[in-house]
Amino acid sequence: MTVHSVPDWLLVLLIGGMSTYCWRLAGVVLVRRLDPHGSALMLVRAIATGLVAALVTKLMIQPPGVLATTDIANRFIALGIGLALMVTLRRHQPLAIVAALLTLVCLEAIGLRLT
Amino acid sequence: MSSYDWRGFPVGMRALFGIPGLVMISSFLGFGAFVRSLGLQVDLGWYTTLFIWALPGQVVFLTMLAQGAGLIAIALAVTLTAVRLLPMVMLVLSKSRLEGQPRWPEYLAAHLIAITLWVIADRSLDRVPREQRLPWVMGIGTAMILAMLMTLTAGFYLSEALPPLVAIALVFMTPTFFGLSLVGGASYAFDYLAIGLAAALTPVGMIYFPQVDLLFAGVVGGLAAFLLLHPRRRRRR
Repeated sequence: MTVHSVPDWLLVLLIGGMSTYCWRLAGVVLVRRLDPHGSALMLVRAIATGLVAALVTKLMIQPPGVLATTDIANRFIALGIGLALMVTLRRHQPLAIVAALLTLVCLEAIGLRLT
Repeated sequence: MSSYDWRGFPVGMRALFGIPGLVMISSFLGFGAFVRSLGLQVDLGWYTTLFIWALPGQVVFLTMLAQGAGLIAIALAVTLTAVRLLPMVMLVLSKSRLEGQPRWPEYLAAHLIAITLWVIADRSLDRVPREQRLPWVMGIGTAMILAMLMTLTAGFYLSEALPPLVAIALVFMTPTFFGLSLVGGASYAFDYLAIGLAAALTPVGMIYFPQVDLLFAGVVGGLAAFLLLHPRRRRRR
């Protein structure tokens, strides 16, 4: 069987869709057996948090596309400023995001290179 | 016994308008440009958005397809990126599903849940009445998919036209949003430890287990944080 003997949408549905949905389905089945306030879901929450933290870290170290042209130190300074604002201003997220983006754009505009 | 209140659906759709929508739009503008850079047609981007609906899986699928990888290898690689959806689906459903109700909305909602939806739902669902929560999840998920189909098309055709600093800010928005959301949504000590441990383990995973680096760092970091600091039930005084 070759890639081109089936229409594209069916190929994506069978190869991409099924291999993704199986994990979602497992989530639907498993969640019925757990106490919504029990420690099993606390563990699930810890792992989900860890997965997203790992994704953020990887995007910072190995960024996609045009972000790869920026300096890694500038990216971490910008994220650090966003996080600091998030903690000090107690969850004013929009402001913290704008501050982080502006920081990176400004550092790149003046061409700061620490690494 | 209460049943689902579908007035939550349009409320969820409207919840997309704001920071979460901006973040997703910025990431899908980049995705549209990426589809073009692989030399593929825009319709493949649409199909992956509809059927996979998880950006890392979509990127892996299209990259391997463009490289002419085997179908079995593609399916295996995509399924590895999709493991992280399991905890997300469980957490969103545990907050939104109703006992003793028909289950078809759960199967549909499971397809719509992705990282961004979990991050938003984790904080927004508490303000939504319980009967409206699953419809709300389906509403915001549906609105997201529709918005992303349009956004990736725009990204596909506009990819060369953006000034570099604007493009940099757009791509940087995704990691920033997720990182700040995690810290903003952390409510237990183990949340902070999970963030710290997983972040520290990520470079280790990237060096030693490049195929499963995120799974390694996320699962080991999350599990260790939970075992060290998980909250024991408070006794009533």
